[in-house]
Amino acid sequence: MFRLRLLPWEYGIRNLFRRPARSALTLAALSTVVLLVLVVVAFIRGLESSLAVSGDERVVLVYSIGAAADMENSAIPARTAGLLAASLDGIEQRFGTSYVAPELYIGTKVQTAADAPGMFGIVRGVTPATPLLRRQVQLLAGKWPGAGEILVGRLTAAKLGCDAELLQIGKTIRFDGREWRISGQFTAGGAAFESEIWAPLAELQTILKRQDLSLVAVGLSAGAAPADVELFCKERYDLELQAVAETAYYAALQKHYQPVRMLGWVVVLLVAGAGVFAGLNTMYGAVVGRVRELSTLQAVGFRRRAIVISLIQEATLLSMTASLNAAVVALALVNGTAVRFTMGAFALRVDGLAVLVGCGVGLLLGLIGAIPPAVKAMRYPVVEGLKAI
Amino acid sequence: MLTVLATVIGFGSLAGCGTPAAPPASAGPSAEGQAFLLATEPAAAKGVKEARASAKDADEVTLVGRIGGDAKPWIEGQAAFLVVDSALKPCGADEGCPTPWDYCCDADQLPNNKAIVKFVDGSGKTVATDARQLLGLKELQTVVVHGRAQRDEAGNLTVLADGVFVRN
Repeated sequence: MFRLRLLPWEYGIRNLFRRPARSALTLAALSTVVLLVLVVVAFIRGLESSLAVSGDERVVLVYSIGAAADMENSAIPARTAGLLAASLDGIEQRFGTSYVAPELYIGTKVQTAADAPGMFGIVRGVTPATPLLRRQVQLLAGKWPGAGEILVGRLTAAKLGCDAELLQIGKTIRFDGREWRISGQFTAGGAAFESEIWAPLAELQTILKRQDLSLVAVGLSAGAAPADVELFCKERYDLELQAVAETAYYAALQKHYQPVRMLGWVVVLLVAGAGVFAGLNTMYGAVVGRVRELSTLQAVGFRRRAIVISLIQEATLLSMTASLNAAVVALALVNGTAVRFTMGAFALRVDGLAVLVGCGVGLLLGLIGAIPPAVKAMRYPVVEGLKAI
Repeated sequence: MLTVLATVIGFGSLAGCGTPAAPPASAGPSAEGQAFLLATEPAAAKGVKEARASAKDADEVTLVGRIGGDAKPWIEGQAAFLVVDSALKPCGADEGCPTPWDYCCDADQLPNNKAIVKFVDGSGKTVATDARQLLGLKELQTVVVHGRAQRDEAGNLTVLADGVFVRN
């Protein structure tokens, strides 16, 4: 007797199709809001993921004390690699090769043609030991660089802001006063290396007239700890070295970019807030135009609560459809899109969390956007509502 | 929007260095560390600078110095730390230095006034307990260390310590 009699489920669905233009516009507006939320969350997730997967817990980076966290400013003696290999017991070895990779890390102007404008790129001077420590790196095509050759990462074109066609194997690019032939392309599982250019270390040193290194990456064997390398650096304080576990290095960068991530979440909140207001506006319009219909429903015996639930059902159906639309578009067009930033480039990630946040915002838009206008409409006296035009 | 975020990233990376993370508070010396603590101050302790100038490899040395010489004078998880000659004064509080024990105001004099102390076990390996936990030490404490000198070709001095007296 006291059981709430709800409006039929089909009533709400049919209502959406009774005003197709209004429903389509609302759907488009809600889809845009959810898509914006998805793009911003994908940006945050991409940045986080790029830094998170860049570190290897068994690798320690040795670089200059004065460089803080900026490898480009680091300059350490070339003999550091040999000293580390000779002095530390806990370095991993395979077939007589120590896991010690000396590297140069520079930011420089890169041209895809002699008359092309220069673009800022990241170049890493590498040796055959480098892939032993950068275990995420996989050669996609081509071969390891020989004399006058380089490898380019999957996101190097995005970092340089140029067409990927210009970085195909066999093409040449120009930096530091000479031309380099592209011998291969590599991927690094989303790590920061993917936006870099890798050149043979000795050749890069010759061209740059540098005998020093930016860093030495050291691979630890089982049982060894980063503190062993740190102890060596403290003992050899004449070399002014510091040792940081690679995971700790990228974790510090994550912390460094914390304000950016916070800003991203603030943008998500603002976009969602704007979406709620847009939804409220649309729903107010939709409900106010249906006062006579809603009063008629009351007159035939439906309780106000049942009518409010039906209105929320309509709005939620619309917003969840918009969420699905936006998620499909984001997965098809946004996911994997490369974005440049100071350290290189990273790919936007529309992952499970991004879809969850986007659909959550969509659901909230439907719920919160429908309640106030529905409640307002229910405050009309039934008699006045029936007379409304 | 992404351009704005990427630009903010650029500005973020230009921002200056922040305050370093506070080191873990040192509790009192552990039971294992008691073995290294000396009840009385060893006599004839030399300053770090003097020891660097005179001590030869494998010499027995007694060294007095202040814990510091780096923003992080400790080695995580190892009984080792840096000491600086007591003649050098740490940066004053009025200079606003968050880590006065790094002697950043006298950075040019540090190389000749710095040594590293390692507490070693019977087999000569560094004790694998952080010096702050093992001995209850903290930055800028003056310590007198007894042990053997280890020199390298660059003239760096490492003291393989077997005992420490904490002066203050």
